[in-house]
Amino acid sequence: MRTYDVAIVGGGPAGLAAAGQVLEAGLSLCVIDEQQRPGGQILRQPPETFAVPGWLPGASYRNARALLDRVAADERMVWFGGQSVLAIQPAADNDGWDLVLAGTAGPGSGPVKARRVLVAGGCYDMPVAFAGWTTPGVMSAGGLQTLVKAQQFLPGERVVLFGTHPLMIVLAQQVIAAGGDLAAVCFAQPFSRMAQLALGKIPAALASPGPLVAAAQGMAALRKAGVAVHFGASVERCDAGPEGRGVQVHFAGKAGPLHFSADVAAMCYGFLPQSDLLRQCGAEVRWSMPAGGWEAVHNGLYRSSLAGLYVAGETTGVTGSDAAMSEGAMAGLAITADAGKLDQRTLDARIAPYRRRRQRLEGFIDLLRTVADPRGRLPEASGDTLLCRCEDIPAQAVDEAIIEATAMGRAFGASEIKLRCRAGMGLCQGRSCEHALIRRIAASRKVSEASVAGFKARFPVRPVTISQLIDNGEQ
Amino acid sequence: MASQVSTADVLIVGGGLIGCASAWHLADHGLAIELVERGHINAGASGQNAGSLHFQIERRFLEQGEQAAREGAVIVLLSKLAIGDWATLEDRLGRPLDIAMHGGLMVAETEAELDLLAFKVGRENELGLSTVLLDAAELRAHSRCLSPALAGAAWLAEEGHANPRILTDAYAQAAKQRGAVLHTGTRVTRLTMEQDGTYRVQLVEAGKERTVLARKVLLAAGHWSTRLANMLGLNLPLYPAPLTMSVTDRADPMLPFLVQHVGQRLSMKQTDDGNLLIGGGWPSRLERGEDGLPDLDRPALVDSANLRANLEVAARVMPALRQRSLLRTWTGTTCVSADQLPIVGEISAAPGLFVAAGGSLFTLGPVLARLLAQTIATGTMAEEIALFSPARFAKLDAFAVLP
Amino acid sequence: MSRIERGVTRPEPITIVIDGETVPAFSGETVAVAILARDQLRFRDDRSGRARGMFCNMGTCGECTVWVGAEQGAWERLRACLVPVRPGLEVCRCPPEDER
Repeated sequence: MRTYDVAIVGGGPAGLAAAGQVLEAGLSLCVIDEQQRPGGQILRQPPETFAVPGWLPGASYRNARALLDRVAADERMVWFGGQSVLAIQPAADNDGWDLVLAGTAGPGSGPVKARRVLVAGGCYDMPVAFAGWTTPGVMSAGGLQTLVKAQQFLPGERVVLFGTHPLMIVLAQQVIAAGGDLAAVCFAQPFSRMAQLALGKIPAALASPGPLVAAAQGMAALRKAGVAVHFGASVERCDAGPEGRGVQVHFAGKAGPLHFSADVAAMCYGFLPQSDLLRQCGAEVRWSMPAGGWEAVHNGLYRSSLAGLYVAGETTGVTGSDAAMSEGAMAGLAITADAGKLDQRTLDARIAPYRRRRQRLEGFIDLLRTVADPRGRLPEASGDTLLCRCEDIPAQAVDEAIIEATAMGRAFGASEIKLRCRAGMGLCQGRSCEHALIRRIAASRKVSEASVAGFKARFPVRPVTISQLIDNGEQ
Repeated sequence: MASQVSTADVLIVGGGLIGCASAWHLADHGLAIELVERGHINAGASGQNAGSLHFQIERRFLEQGEQAAREGAVIVLLSKLAIGDWATLEDRLGRPLDIAMHGGLMVAETEAELDLLAFKVGRENELGLSTVLLDAAELRAHSRCLSPALAGAAWLAEEGHANPRILTDAYAQAAKQRGAVLHTGTRVTRLTMEQDGTYRVQLVEAGKERTVLARKVLLAAGHWSTRLANMLGLNLPLYPAPLTMSVTDRADPMLPFLVQHVGQRLSMKQTDDGNLLIGGGWPSRLERGEDGLPDLDRPALVDSANLRANLEVAARVMPALRQRSLLRTWTGTTCVSADQLPIVGEISAAPGLFVAAGGSLFTLGPVLARLLAQTIATGTMAEEIALFSPARFAKLDAFAVLP
Repeated sequence: MSRIERGVTRPEPITIVIDGETVPAFSGETVAVAILARDQLRFRDDRSGRARGMFCNMGTCGECTVWVGAEQGAWERLRACLVPVRPGLEVCRCPPEDER
């Protein structure tokens, strides 16, 4: 088995920042990512065969791009692109970890062993169920964004964005720049509420003014482009357009209903940490506030609850790529120190600037978290609205399962509901509906979401063709 | 402060298939039943097994001498009863349980394995089980989804599968309707015998202690039954067996029956929803606790090599499996006894203390629970389960002091 | 549904086969984009026969899972958003005939 000092799962800002530190210390390193090229979701690169000279303009991408250019070019880094990590398991000789890999585009590259593993898996758009959300053309904001910035593809001329997260402002600009037409941007929360929440947080956020300035510029650009930005407009329903083409999205607005026809409707209610690998191998996680999902717990130096396993970036709570880079660098330094390459004093000294940088971002992170908070703004899913889109399990069936489980005693979590009604048993392995199940169980049992046990994370963390598992093992 | 004390005719420990089914039957005998479960209903092996209804004689009863042959014969008789129980269970419990008895194949890859199957079919037919031997060509005609390289198979029309996710719950609900009381999240902290032979069971539920006095106690807690018996100073030779089960994505209907292998560990079936379930007894790995011993309270880890071996034999038998996606592999810990036969019945050294644990208790669960309930209620052991009596291990309790 | 032309230079087009039909694509592009570029939002039908499209475009939701031709005439179910096209690649949105 190929063996490395360090394996990093995830080639985004956190993973690359950690990689930089690990390489500098002279440790052998592999970085594994489901995408073909490094960059993560925020810097999803166009295919190598494309030339896109004006790719990702703007100050907000500058730091991350510099990191990507530097680390991705480092020939000491072994890059496993197009590989899913199916599991992280304690190595048979108890010295480090075995990583089981599968190819995302065909045969995988066999297992890898590493003394230390960093999971920097990033996050994913929170899927939010409402009537008609499974209509083709309804997708996640991140999905639309990566089509535009990486694939250089606009999946429709006319776009509606809706949700609670200000990322919609950035995405709207990118859609316009790509030649698309914005039918509307609909924030579910009223403007007054947003402004009120933001106001108290702005002074602290100014410690690192870049993101705030970018947001203000973005709003101004949208206004200039004549884009209708609605506040207090919550999505109610989506229908397929005439002859099954495109979508018609219906909102309850402050001044009455709003209807938009578009080719694509993209939802943006916030992001859930990618943590199933960690949950599967037993690392400690906690319910992520406010958007939900499970974030990895660390000791302040990005060491997880399991020795030799580290976590950084959105996996530990969604805070944006600038924070992820600082965290990744700190995790990389902690790994380097634990590998005996740094003494405690040097570690402290070298971590300090990253810690300060991370600290300066806290104000903006808090502001964004508060303003974007989806709680209380999520559309209602009831009756025959599908909660589990893989297995077609409607909200009603989930609610019945909760009632049945309650009759058998109150000690149940999401897994018991899954076993009763099949929600979460499909190809997404529960990533799409788990948070919704947890919210419903919590509401029904009148407890906090954090106290409801999630799905048990199982092997494999991504679906894998059985021939790959059989054939890869022989390598 | 004295904890609350209540009484029950029978206290059942364990909310799995056996515990809940026994509760249902015992309540039908008019007894006051309390069932306690430390997790939730169906949390253990009853809900984690692959749901096979397999009635063909297992290989070990064919090759290990006359004693094994006699035991195999008893199990065939029980299997025949079990077939009847399964066939009527949905009616009796009044709800669908995804019971599919569309037949089962035990396949052979080599001529030697086929010879063994032929011998097995002969013995089963003598015992009244209508197994049929299929040669390679007949097997090919019978089931086109299986590999043309197979040497043949034994076919039994009554085999199949049921849904372990819902069966135990159905029993539990039915038991409640008959007046049984079920407490989940309830742990036994102490089990003692009073001077008059009554059992005193101390429980903790949601941090609160209470006591149940019961004339009879049934241990139906899988491998934890050993620990419970230990509380009385008794020894049950049950050993944990952590196993591996896997499920694929949904496929169009391709495999209407159960598939087993006479020479390899394999069980394979397709659920009503279309997922292919693969198991057959490949071990998973128990983690070690602080004391260096296997930690039975944590789920076992998937062993990659065993999983691969399991998938390999499954794909050899049904090549189309190679192209399916594996969605989940999970582990569940059943238990086996010292002689690999279930231990079911009253423990000689402790009158009124019953046990039901130890292997294959999904397929035989409903019938064993019924016969055990009859035994507990009438005080007379049902003849059909005499082979499983704990009496065969009585010498392990030669030094027990009770009460 | 369109490829962004302005500011992008693509390699020479190749062809792949989607549901038996030969279509143009650009090396490096994902299968998901090749499907979308045919003016197709539908990636599969759900259990009630309703059309479904891709959702996350990052390999998390599995909604874009299609059948992709693998070695020796076998097929593999892969997430279309993660598979780069290559010349002659065969893709089926429904189970291919020989998989049924």
